[in-house]
Amino acid sequence: MTTQIATQNTGTYLIKGIVLIIAALLLFAPFLFQDVRSLEVAARICIFIVLVASFDLLIGYTGIVSFAHTMFFGFGAYGAAILLKEMGPGWTPVILGGLAGVAVSLVFAVAIGLLSLRVKAIFFAMITLAAASVVLVLASQLSQITGGEDGITYRGPDLFKTATKLVTDDDGKVVRLWGVRLNGKLAAYYFVFFTSLILFLAMLRFVGSPFGTVLKAIRENEARAEAIGYRVVAYRTAVFCLSAVVASLAGTVYAVWLKYTGPATTLSFAIMIDILLMVVIGGMGTMWGAVIGAVLMILAQYYLRDLMGVASEAVAAVPILPELLAPDRWLFWLGIIFILLVYFFPKGIAGTAMSGGAKQ
Amino acid sequence: MTSPSLVTSDLTIRFGGHVAVNSVSCAFKPGELTVIVGPNGAGKTTYFNLISGQLAASAGTVTKDGVNITRMSPSARAAQGLGRAFQLTNLFPQLSVLENIRLAVQARAGAGWRMFTPVGHFRRLTQKAEHYLEVTRLSNVAHQPAANLPHGDQRKLEVALLMAMEPDIYMFDEPTAGMSLDQAPDVLDLIAGIKADTTKTVLLVEHKMEVVRALADRIIVLHNGELLADGDPAEVMNSQIVRDVYLGRATEGAA
Repeated sequence: MTTQIATQNTGTYLIKGIVLIIAALLLFAPFLFQDVRSLEVAARICIFIVLVASFDLLIGYTGIVSFAHTMFFGFGAYGAAILLKEMGPGWTPVILGGLAGVAVSLVFAVAIGLLSLRVKAIFFAMITLAAASVVLVLASQLSQITGGEDGITYRGPDLFKTATKLVTDDDGKVVRLWGVRLNGKLAAYYFVFFTSLILFLAMLRFVGSPFGTVLKAIRENEARAEAIGYRVVAYRTAVFCLSAVVASLAGTVYAVWLKYTGPATTLSFAIMIDILLMVVIGGMGTMWGAVIGAVLMILAQYYLRDLMGVASEAVAAVPILPELLAPDRWLFWLGIIFILLVYFFPKGIAGTAMSGGAKQ
Repeated sequence: MTSPSLVTSDLTIRFGGHVAVNSVSCAFKPGELTVIVGPNGAGKTTYFNLISGQLAASAGTVTKDGVNITRMSPSARAAQGLGRAFQLTNLFPQLSVLENIRLAVQARAGAGWRMFTPVGHFRRLTQKAEHYLEVTRLSNVAHQPAANLPHGDQRKLEVALLMAMEPDIYMFDEPTAGMSLDQAPDVLDLIAGIKADTTKTVLLVEHKMEVVRALADRIIVLHNGELLADGDPAEVMNSQIVRDVYLGRATEGAA
């Protein structure tokens, strides 16, 4: 027993260490990886960590299966996008749009929650799926408001324009720090980074609070949680709302960063599946799993192709291998990696490591 | 005479054509430990489920201290001071023993909606939980997941959860089922301790006759969902009707 507890701690420290390293890398990302694409990847990682962690509140902590998470993400994104388009660049549309997204998300979350959290998990999942499908169709059809399939392109607050100079030298040129221009792009990245950080830390507080323990109790044994005095429906509705609000805020931040919002970047079911995979690979019910899952998955999505291109060239002399490793087959290899990860880490990477080894 | 804390009037539940509990009227007083006996399938656990709210009554009422709780959810009844332990161990398996108990303490304290303060800041809740760990002799396994405990300790945790709710009415459903001989007395001592507090009402479903003899102030007999006998332990145990039920004659008669 003592050894088991010891490995538990080692695993937990290991995971927390990895998360800290990831946080540090993200904090210094603009200086460490000085190209546009890397910064794009880093920002996407920040936002998806929040999105996946908020989904983990549902699936991992409370045991609620929802397919409507991208819907809430979309409400936040479209809220900011539509107002930025209509009102022009500035902070007011971002704030108002963000609040509007949160408000709409809350209305939907309360409605879905109260109407259907009493029913069996499978029906609840179906209802969220239906709601998300309806919203996706609406977003594509109401093209006058949402831009339809094409989405909306707009400009963010002036502070985040690449041309904005945060610090200028005597000649009025933008100052470089370690070779990085201190311009609006950098400000935009840190806006993404710090909002994501704050949202993630807030979620860590939620799960560590008495409220968080009740969520776990509901996941473990709903009937007993009710019997010892917790109104399960109220708690489930509350966490559904909470998670919807966080997803919506993540959507607003993403909309400000991308300066484009469309069905494919926020509402599509491909993203919903990504979120599910990230939380499963990272480990459900740990919060740290969201970080690890999001990082792995996004890195794979962006860089596996490149990596395979290099590998394919390296083995050009060998028969068959270059064909297998051709960059076009990256999805095939991604699939294999997922299967292996799920096989060797049944509770996800963080979940398995923290419970003391892959054997359990 | 103290007034009854819990009253069931004509309490009935039907599952299709089967009447599992049939018009049971009974009152329970503080300071009294009532043992509910009856053969398997007599409706003892179903009667408990109707009182604590896991099942909704088809007819009749449940009142606690004058408040009609018949239509209340289990959580609302728990808030009214009605506590229930289960026959089949019913814990939070992946949570630690301490967390299991703290959940019950925290429900009682109404702290479940505190969203932004770490659990560790609620020292009073943790201390209370640790107190109940000590009382039930589970301190040494406080940080084990409940699922890892041997059966006997899980039964003790089941009792600890009920005690940590600090209800007015304690409902135990075969608390010593499947426990080893050296562990059962621990649980029985705990129940005896609760019984010593004359403000508490205790309901106990139990088969073991030595337990019944040691603890009961009163016995009620359920058979085929009906209240068959109610009274002083010695009287009830010696009555012809109870002998018939346990020897199976009444069953034949009913069939």
